[in-house]
Amino acid sequence: MRTRFLTVLALLGVLAIAVTGCAAAPPDAAAPGETVVTWAMWGSPAELATHQSVADAYMAENPDVIIEILSEPWGDYFTKMQALWAGGDGSVIPDILFLWPTPSYAAEGVLENLQPYIDRDGYNLDDYWPDLLESAKYDGDVYGFPRDIGLEVLYYNKDVFDEVGVPYPDETWTWADLESAANQLKVVDDTGRVSRYGLGMEGGKYMLWVLQNHGALLDDYRNPSTCTLDQPEAVQGLEFFANLMATNAAMTSDNLNQAGGDAAVFQAGQVAMIIQNASRVSAFNAAEMNYDVSVVPIPDGGRRAASAGGAAWTMSAGSDNKEDAWHFLQWLQSTNGGQRIYTASGEIFPALQSTAMSDAFLNPDNPPANRQAFLTEGLNATVGRFGYFPEWGYLSGNFVSPHINQIWTGDLTPADAAAAVCEGVNQYLQDEGFPK
Amino acid sequence: MAVEPLAGEQMRLTRRVRRRIGSIALQVGLLAGSFFMVMPFLWMLSTSLKLPKEIFKYPPIWIPTEIAWSNYKDTLTALPFDRFYLNSAIVSVSSTLIQVLAAALAAFAFARLRFKGRNPLFLLYLATLMIPFQVTMIPNFILISRVLDWYNTYQALIFPTSFSAFSVFLLRQFFVGLPMELDEAARMDGASTLRIWWQIILPLSGPALAALSIFSFLGSWNSFLWPLVVTTSNEMRTIPVGLSAFQGEHNTAWNLLMAGSVIALVPVLAVYMVGQNWFQRGITLSGMGGR
Amino acid sequence: MASDASPSRPPPRWRRWRADQQSEGYLFLLPSLAGFILFVLIPVVAALVLSLYEWSLLSPGEYVGLTNYLNLFRRDPTFFKALGNTLYFTVTIVPLQLAAGLAVALALNQAIKGLAVYRLIYFMPVVTTIVAGALVFQWIFNKDFGILSAVIWRINELTGIPVQPPDWLTDPAWARPAVVMLTLWKNVGFTMVIYLAGLQAIPVELYDAAEVDGATSWRRLLYITLPMISPTTFFLMVIQMIGAFQLFDEAFVMTRGGPAQATTTIVYYVYVNAFEYRRFGMASTVAWVLFAFIFAFTFLQNRMQHRWVHYETEDGR
Repeated sequence: MRTRFLTVLALLGVLAIAVTGCAAAPPDAAAPGETVVTWAMWGSPAELATHQSVADAYMAENPDVIIEILSEPWGDYFTKMQALWAGGDGSVIPDILFLWPTPSYAAEGVLENLQPYIDRDGYNLDDYWPDLLESAKYDGDVYGFPRDIGLEVLYYNKDVFDEVGVPYPDETWTWADLESAANQLKVVDDTGRVSRYGLGMEGGKYMLWVLQNHGALLDDYRNPSTCTLDQPEAVQGLEFFANLMATNAAMTSDNLNQAGGDAAVFQAGQVAMIIQNASRVSAFNAAEMNYDVSVVPIPDGGRRAASAGGAAWTMSAGSDNKEDAWHFLQWLQSTNGGQRIYTASGEIFPALQSTAMSDAFLNPDNPPANRQAFLTEGLNATVGRFGYFPEWGYLSGNFVSPHINQIWTGDLTPADAAAAVCEGVNQYLQDEGFPK
Repeated sequence: MAVEPLAGEQMRLTRRVRRRIGSIALQVGLLAGSFFMVMPFLWMLSTSLKLPKEIFKYPPIWIPTEIAWSNYKDTLTALPFDRFYLNSAIVSVSSTLIQVLAAALAAFAFARLRFKGRNPLFLLYLATLMIPFQVTMIPNFILISRVLDWYNTYQALIFPTSFSAFSVFLLRQFFVGLPMELDEAARMDGASTLRIWWQIILPLSGPALAALSIFSFLGSWNSFLWPLVVTTSNEMRTIPVGLSAFQGEHNTAWNLLMAGSVIALVPVLAVYMVGQNWFQRGITLSGMGGR
Repeated sequence: MASDASPSRPPPRWRRWRADQQSEGYLFLLPSLAGFILFVLIPVVAALVLSLYEWSLLSPGEYVGLTNYLNLFRRDPTFFKALGNTLYFTVTIVPLQLAAGLAVALALNQAIKGLAVYRLIYFMPVVTTIVAGALVFQWIFNKDFGILSAVIWRINELTGIPVQPPDWLTDPAWARPAVVMLTLWKNVGFTMVIYLAGLQAIPVELYDAAEVDGATSWRRLLYITLPMISPTTFFLMVIQMIGAFQLFDEAFVMTRGGPAQATTTIVYYVYVNAFEYRRFGMASTVAWVLFAFIFAFTFLQNRMQHRWVHYETEDGR
């Protein structure tokens, strides 16, 4: 035993010496005359391939620039970027970063204000969906360009609708239609087990209903003075969602997460409809599902209020290569540049209207057939789902989400929860000296 | 015993029967536990061979209707996994070596030498275990990137994780269990302290060193957040960081993720299988608490 | 100490080497201590300093003295909930983990059929990714679509008894036990391996002597095995307690701290403060308050250990 141990130890020793011998970082290779723009984003291997083809296309047009991709896994992308900033070594901070939500980073002073560049070069902001740039503004100036718009549509499983004999949803559907369809589509066994729910929708999207019903969370989402979730319109929105869950018409929020998320249960036929953004299209097509999309139903007298938000390309304020970075940014966010490549890959609904109206999006070969639904929601999409100030994360995590979650678990009525939310939020706003 | 041979015989018989029953019960219990232990792994294996449309079928499918071996190929080609594997091996082996060596020396001092400041120092080691990594990571990162300029190097992957108080504590607890007479006798024979460490204490601590090696290797092999934070290029990344790419913002490629995880398991299991050979001594047929 | 050293009772012989062990001790410590100070101690102290700052990671921090500590105790709505959850996990996980790990180690320290396979299987969860583990657990426990629930629904269907599976991960009362089970599943192999290593160190002669005296296996366990592995038990107890106090992965992956914060642990709260709320000073503050708790518990255990931990050398403590 002793000799064996010594042998193992000696072997390890040799290995360690070998390792320290070759433990040198590969140097960055940039030939003289070329400039390197570092470009950070998250992405799966499939998405990474799209990013790479975007970089390649740009480099083909601009041979003197090298676009270096720094890709991080989605789950810890923000942790990583924050660590880089915290480390304070400017040389390792990327020139262009994919970020969300833009204003809270802009408020910390780490992002370059793009407004001077936009004004100087006349970059066209009117092509964006009407409310979308609101999500990337801080202090009235644009600090980032959203790549896509995360607006929700209603996905429905045509096989299930046909089986039950429910007519397909269309733009005339109201909350009542949605509720009645969901109740017809759900399947509850004699034992009480639900083997199919009508609707699967993440609990965190509750503000969609509130906004549709002309409610709001805060009186001003950039610089609030008071919480408005306890107002009747807002509470009705919460009640609509809570009621769907309580009657098994919709899956409860935690149950949905636990069963694998909306895409998983929709593919497995465990829900007949989901409300989600365009990101699910490629997965459903890969699984060869028989589905289509429609606009999200609204209450009588309500308005469409899909989310006008999306992660944005931003420029680091510490970039030492701002002009090249800006040039690349403009190209990224043009229909003839990056937007078309991303849209054609089928992973996003583009931020630019001209790209959305082009073949790249309206390509009829792949489902869903009713792509018009995205355009309709795009024209009406709004901001206001959360606060656009740095303290929002803490405020939401401690005073909003815990009470809202208790609605979905059935521990609080929507009215009581909304009152509790507003009590906590108002106290916090007062303590922190809002409005600022 | 010679006086009452019959009673002795009887006693031995009932004891044998009892042992028999005990060992059957033991097997049944172990089997039931095994099922519980191994099921997630089997699901991993099964998912790694599924096509996307079968992953979330209900009722669940254990054996895919079409076995997709191509998942393994796709996983390995989606990202430079050969490089990740090499990096993981280099980092885990070096880190384990440093960890075991440094901890064995330190634990020996804490367990068997007497010097001023020993107990407060040991307490200080222990105390650092009580601060979660989540808050020391950022200071550590600043040290690595700003002070040492080690960003995106092997040093950054290896050294900061090689000096945990855990390993010192583990070995020290084993070393204090060895009789002090061993050292005394050796010293009487004129052995130096280093010699006592090397020729007496270490050889007697095979099982403990094996356990520590297993966990050091495992910890380093599976480490995720730190390698993610201190590396930026694929040339420097390790397997867990590479695998996490399959978990996207909206869609997770479960089949590829699981295929990659299965591939990543192999070296760790190999290290474990080698290491657990040190836990074989003194096994007999006797019942509970057997030697 | 020197005053009552009477000539009739000299100090144990090994104490005489104390003087020359002074420098030797530090020489042995040197490699470990150098790395420890640089990569462990300095970051830990830095975290302590940062708890006196308000720092968003992105812009320069601001010194605020003890404000973070005061705010944590006075105004933070989540901290005490997280502390309660963490204590729940600690008092459940530590004893269960020790008992289960010891039982498996004892069972697998005998010549039984399939020993190598069992040892492999019980170690599998330690190496299986927590993501896969959590997924399968979710999928076993899902109320509508899980396999465990499927059995219960089937009983309902066949017998007409209106039993329903619990809402496992979506009911706050059940989510905590589910996390405990996941943690046990994941870590019992760890405890087993350490115990197996500890069992190897027990001199065989002790058992031989006991056998001659006719001690039953139960008595051998009680009077030889347990006392002899008590240093290992002490180690595991401290390590498991620290681990349980710092429970993070299981709650992060399986329940994301929910439902309704039922599985939000202290370290989970440290994490969200640091990287989601970007209140790094507050994260450090929470970590240091946690430190105080763990330290107090460890100190207690350390004080108690002379009552039950058996050391060969007298300075085990």
